[in-house]
Amino acid sequence: MARPEYDHPITQLPDRVSRRRYEREKRARQEAEQLLEAKSRELYDANLALQKQAAGLEEAVAQRTAEFEAARNEAESANAAKSIFLATMSHEIRTPLNGVLGMATALADSDLTSEQEEILDLISDSGNLLLSVINDILDLSKVEAGMLEIENVPTSVCDFLDGMCAQFAPKVREKGLRFTVLYSGLLSAGGVWAKFDPNRLSQVLGNLLSNAIKFTTSGAVAFTAEAVHLENGNLQLNLIIRDTGIGVPEENSEKLFQPFTQADASITRKFGGTGLGLVIARDICRMMGGDITCLSAAGDGTEFTASIQMAPAKCPETTKGLQLAENETVLNQRRWRVLIAEDNKTNQLVLKHMLKRYDLELVIVADGAKVVSEWRSNGADLILMDVNMPVMDGLSATQTIRADELEGKHQPVPIVAISANAMVHQVSGYLEGGMTGHVAKPIRKAELIRAMALALSETATAPT
Amino acid sequence: MKGMVFVELFRMAETVMSEEDLDNIIDHIDLSTDGAYTSVGNYPCSELIKLVVAIGDQLNIPVTALQTKFGHWMFSRFVDGYPEFFEGKQNAFEMLEAIENEVHVEVLKLYPDAELPTFSTQRFSGGAGLKMTYSSDRPLNHFCLGLIEGCVEHFDRPAEIKMRDCSEDGRCRAEFMIEWAK
Repeated sequence: MARPEYDHPITQLPDRVSRRRYEREKRARQEAEQLLEAKSRELYDANLALQKQAAGLEEAVAQRTAEFEAARNEAESANAAKSIFLATMSHEIRTPLNGVLGMATALADSDLTSEQEEILDLISDSGNLLLSVINDILDLSKVEAGMLEIENVPTSVCDFLDGMCAQFAPKVREKGLRFTVLYSGLLSAGGVWAKFDPNRLSQVLGNLLSNAIKFTTSGAVAFTAEAVHLENGNLQLNLIIRDTGIGVPEENSEKLFQPFTQADASITRKFGGTGLGLVIARDICRMMGGDITCLSAAGDGTEFTASIQMAPAKCPETTKGLQLAENETVLNQRRWRVLIAEDNKTNQLVLKHMLKRYDLELVIVADGAKVVSEWRSNGADLILMDVNMPVMDGLSATQTIRADELEGKHQPVPIVAISANAMVHQVSGYLEGGMTGHVAKPIRKAELIRAMALALSETATAPT
Repeated sequence: MKGMVFVELFRMAETVMSEEDLDNIIDHIDLSTDGAYTSVGNYPCSELIKLVVAIGDQLNIPVTALQTKFGHWMFSRFVDGYPEFFEGKQNAFEMLEAIENEVHVEVLKLYPDAELPTFSTQRFSGGAGLKMTYSSDRPLNHFCLGLIEGCVEHFDRPAEIKMRDCSEDGRCRAEFMIEWAK
């Protein structure tokens, strides 16, 4: 396109400009300089103001961050203090309770009149109830401290569920309710093995089943279990517990999963409970890759679904562990020499009573140093070792004994740890420290006998 | 009015008249700065009108025609000075539609005190036509016409442009009906 003609100069520009043109251009230039100077000053001032504002903002942000951090630290330490308090209190209560329950068990083995037996049953039941409440509180503080541990072991799913049903079926029937059990999906064929924590899962399922029984006065409790394959290669286990009980009003269903809260304050008066069970159960399910959900309406029964993910496992060729009768046979094989290191008088008494039926040579000492010297002087077939003791603790005593054995090329003596600190990482610490087994406090007789029999039978079969 | 417009008017005038002639015109008009304009300054619009009238007289061109020519000139200055505004614009309609909401927004960021006219736009004939309405305190309808013509020429697609003066009560207003040539 042609450019307009005024784009091209039509006159030759002169070499020199006139004075008036020169003056005008000079004046224009000066004015431009003044304007630019003013503009520069404005920009400079604006820039300064911005820098100042930015510095102020940085300071405000830093201060706010510090405030938040302090508040967070405060909240965290308050929460930690609460968890430690709960854990300590629970531990402190468990120790005397251990005495009460242990003595009750010992008393049950003696000759009692039927009236005394009734009284003793009440003592045992109340003690066990108190123990379960304390265990719940301890679990909750572990959950809140992020220290609840899950120990997945290969387990037969159907055997596990059968065991749970066998435990609860009599309680359902006692209340005059019907109890239906249905295995579907992979479980209908049986023989499913998977890795999960049977202790924790029984806590979940036990909680849901006992709630169903507790809140149902007529009708039925229906238990459905199903397992399905997941795309990630795992199995999902869904446990559905339906009841025809009082139900949960929709507006209260949120409260079910809040600690120390029940759907309605009157529930506590009518049915008892701390309101911790479901909270812990849900946390356990979540740690196992699942959840607990609840469907209910007031007066229309309740349906809880607990789900977990499990890695599939193979059925092991032999299952380790002996039955109680076999265990007792091992203990009665000969007069085993058993050293007991335990500083607490009550616990000493509990152990003594639990073992009095067996013909054992029991030597009880109160600290680690004494057990080492007793073992050095007279040897032993088995040592039951408390972990926390004055003078020398159980782990140090064990290490001293193991070092002596290595030096003198002796056959290692089995050492069973007995401790209330029974978290998975603590137990593996004992085993790494040279101990051969572990029994948790409060001591249950069957467990103690099993652990002792296992340790002694390995000694008996070990090459000498 | 921005000093840039005065400076460009002189530059255009000097392509068709001698410095001497332009200086004579400037000397004979009563101007606040005696005709010393800088592109970064601000000056009364009335002085621009006086200058256009005087230059038109000197060249024997009607004021309206000179305004239109000056519109063409200014548009080519915009093309050279502000290519970023033309990026992504497919045709003259898209460019004209962008003046109010894109170009003027940026102008106000750089010159917060600028007094800008308004350019509202509306398509008609299913998009084949564009109605553009200019509204300002300044009587520069024909300068606008020149700008629009310059824009159409820049995008090299012929269009028919009709202008209708709708000024009233001292406010200058003009409607431009632009349709692609058939």
